[in-house]
Amino acid sequence: MVFLTLSNLIRCRGPDEFWRKRKIFRLAAHFLGRRRNTYSVAVRNVHRALVYSTKARALKKEDMKNLWDTRITAACEQQNITAFSLREGLERADILLDRKSLSDLASWEPKTFESLAAVAKQKLFFDGFVDTTDKKEPTGNDINLNSVWLEGLKDGK
Amino acid sequence: MSAAKRVQQWATFARTWHVFDCKWQDPYQSANLIKKYLLGLHKPIYHPMNDCGDVVVCVNSRDIALRGDEWRKRAYFHHTGYPGGASWTLAWEVHNKDPTMIIKKAVYRAMKGNLQRRHTMQRLFIYPGEEIPDDVKQNVTNQIRQLRLVPTRLDHIPEEEVQKFPKVMDYPSDYVLK
Repeated sequence: MVFLTLSNLIRCRGPDEFWRKRKIFRLAAHFLGRRRNTYSVAVRNVHRALVYSTKARALKKEDMKNLWDTRITAACEQQNITAFSLREGLERADILLDRKSLSDLASWEPKTFESLAAVAKQKLFFDGFVDTTDKKEPTGNDINLNSVWLEGLKDGK
Repeated sequence: MSAAKRVQQWATFARTWHVFDCKWQDPYQSANLIKKYLLGLHKPIYHPMNDCGDVVVCVNSRDIALRGDEWRKRAYFHHTGYPGGASWTLAWEVHNKDPTMIIKKAVYRAMKGNLQRRHTMQRLFIYPGEEIPDDVKQNVTNQIRQLRLVPTRLDHIPEEEVQKFPKVMDYPSDYVLK
């Protein structure tokens, strides 16, 4: 390899050491002890923290999905329908709502959600769809008065 | 219902008191049901950091039903911390000692182990029989439905009702009933 230009032989050390380290220290400002004061320790921990935050961007979406699913399941139980058949029924009825919208409706617009559940139920009834995931666990609806424990509930109050 | 009050929900952030009748119920399956109410998983506003769990009052915990021969086979482990301090207690022994213990441990184990678990357990009341204190009873407004139907025993049905029940035939006079 032949270098004809002299300036290419000069080793480039990058930006000034102070500013280079300051970038790392800024990111380590909220750490504790030597992790924020010593460059060699800080840089390791900053790199690790950046990896965590990269991974967390995907995890956050997963967490939100789980939370919405939990909420939709809760709301579906109130309407005596499984989350699976709600999804199936809405899809068949061409109501394409995502988890976020459904869970928002469930908490802020319970009457709307009730209507959606009714639509899904009716659509599945028309289609003759059988929900095999339904474990037939007892819900608030269709109370069997034989097992009612509270006197107040027995009177239908 | 007026348009303004369409979505009004006064009791959203209130703690509801539920009663659960443990008679003839599998404690390990009921635990998942009870857990749902204790953590607030049955509410569409649920969030792990949102303190929306309810109170559950379990009654008749003396009459729980374990599957198969679990009463004899299931062992509860305890360790005192000292060498040789391990002990295994069978389910029937635990139940004889304290009839609320099995359901309590079942609910405790059904929940995820975090700092909130012991505080959530404080909202679970378990009573061996049907008698519960009045200050607890006056708060109860809802009943959680049992997972299984409580079977009716023939010897618990009044004699005259059994006699009145329509029969296909009478046993012959020389038939020996086992």
